[in-house]
Amino acid sequence: MTDHQDPPVRLKGVGDSLWVTVDSSLPSERIYEEITKIFDRLKHLAINAKVVIDTGDQDDSDQLVEELSGFLKSKFQVGHVFKAQSRKHTHDIPDERGPDASETGVVTQNDSLIIAGRVRSGQTIEARKHLVILGDLNPGAEAVAGGDILVLGSLQGKAAAGQPDNINAIVMALEFKPTQIQIAGFVVAGNPRMVGSVPEFAHIENDQIVVNDYMKANPFKRMNWPEER
Amino acid sequence: MDGKVIVVTSGKGGVGKTTVTASIGAALALQGKRVAVVDMDIGLRNLDVVMGLENRIVFNIVDIIQGKCKLKQAAIKDRRIDNLYLIPASQSHEKNVIKPENMVWLCSKMKKEFDFTLLDCPAGIEQGFKNSIAAADQAIVVCTPEVSSVRDADRVIGLLYARNITPKLIINRIVPKMVESGDMLSHDDIIEVLSIDLVGLVEMDDKVVVSTNTGTPLIMQKDSKAGNAFQRIAMRLDGHPDLPIENPMDQKGFWKRISKKFSRKN
Repeated sequence: MTDHQDPPVRLKGVGDSLWVTVDSSLPSERIYEEITKIFDRLKHLAINAKVVIDTGDQDDSDQLVEELSGFLKSKFQVGHVFKAQSRKHTHDIPDERGPDASETGVVTQNDSLIIAGRVRSGQTIEARKHLVILGDLNPGAEAVAGGDILVLGSLQGKAAAGQPDNINAIVMALEFKPTQIQIAGFVVAGNPRMVGSVPEFAHIENDQIVVNDYMKANPFKRMNWPEER
Repeated sequence: MDGKVIVVTSGKGGVGKTTVTASIGAALALQGKRVAVVDMDIGLRNLDVVMGLENRIVFNIVDIIQGKCKLKQAAIKDRRIDNLYLIPASQSHEKNVIKPENMVWLCSKMKKEFDFTLLDCPAGIEQGFKNSIAAADQAIVVCTPEVSSVRDADRVIGLLYARNITPKLIINRIVPKMVESGDMLSHDDIIEVLSIDLVGLVEMDDKVVVSTNTGTPLIMQKDSKAGNAFQRIAMRLDGHPDLPIENPMDQKGFWKRISKKFSRKN
């Protein structure tokens, strides 16, 4: 087995500064040599740059940082040199009260697909997670999603939500007249009696797909705080 | 100036593409334009019969493309209407003897000869359809007030948009009585689903059958409702795009409409 070692000096751009990670356990000649090599390559980019030196949580590295600071300023005309703040944190205590109210507006990373337009017969829209259609899904068209399907328009085609096994997924439409609904492994045929005059949604209840008036049922109103779907 | 190539298509068969092509072609020719109608249904040709020209076919579209004849030799002049020509389909070949690039070549030649070239597309979305839309500048989608026809029209509209062609809609065979009683889709329902520009509403008309069987142009029958509708569609395609679209539902007389208005209040 080969012993893989990190390079003694690494450089990356962080914000408006250059973050230099230095392995302070190495002899200082080696460090100078590596830093010179890297900064030579930067050429004019180093001039007046902000440099942060990260010695990897070593408490006795202040002197090294000071020396490097002088070296970089004189040789490469960098602007400022800082020592990286210690990355030692107190362990996060899980907050049992749930997310802070001030954070609930933060949008976290999501794979939702939002499209606008009319999905016509023969066309299929697939989304890895949630799918939002600003427009109509015509008869003969298909929407497939790993999460929810929300149609802000008329749903008249086939909608398969929660594929393959997300039983919490819903299918919602402002005008709910689907040909067929699938959620996870459950299938239900569209009913011609579905009038679709109010926003409705389909979800799984007791191992079957149930369709309710969205505003009356308001399935998410009892949640304590907004959550990512 | 080069002429326009318009494809008449529908997806579903039997909705009236051939009648629409023949009638609009005749109407445009009567308006003084040079018009060619092309039967794209290789192997199942019909347009020649509808136009009453089946006994005059010598060459067909496949012969032009294979270089066996010139365009002018294959174009059959109509018996009654000047400026109207038919390029018939071959009855003995299959659709894949023509490639889309052949149509691009043919249509570029036809644009120089004719003001309007109407392509009567076969049903389906296979080779015949692909050939027909390859060189089209515009498209007319024909649809009847039936769910199956609307579904197929929708599919075809999607395919046309994918080729950067913005289609226009003709709703054919409307039976006002059935629409009124709720047994037939209204044109508003259809436009709601298809959401494309309407270019005409055509009422169900028994005279179409007579005209098709005898090979006489529908628009030459003065009292034909369908014929009149096609004439107005032709005007909309040729410089009068704002000509109001007559709704077959409204043609019931003044008093009936008045009484309907009052009955609504009850």
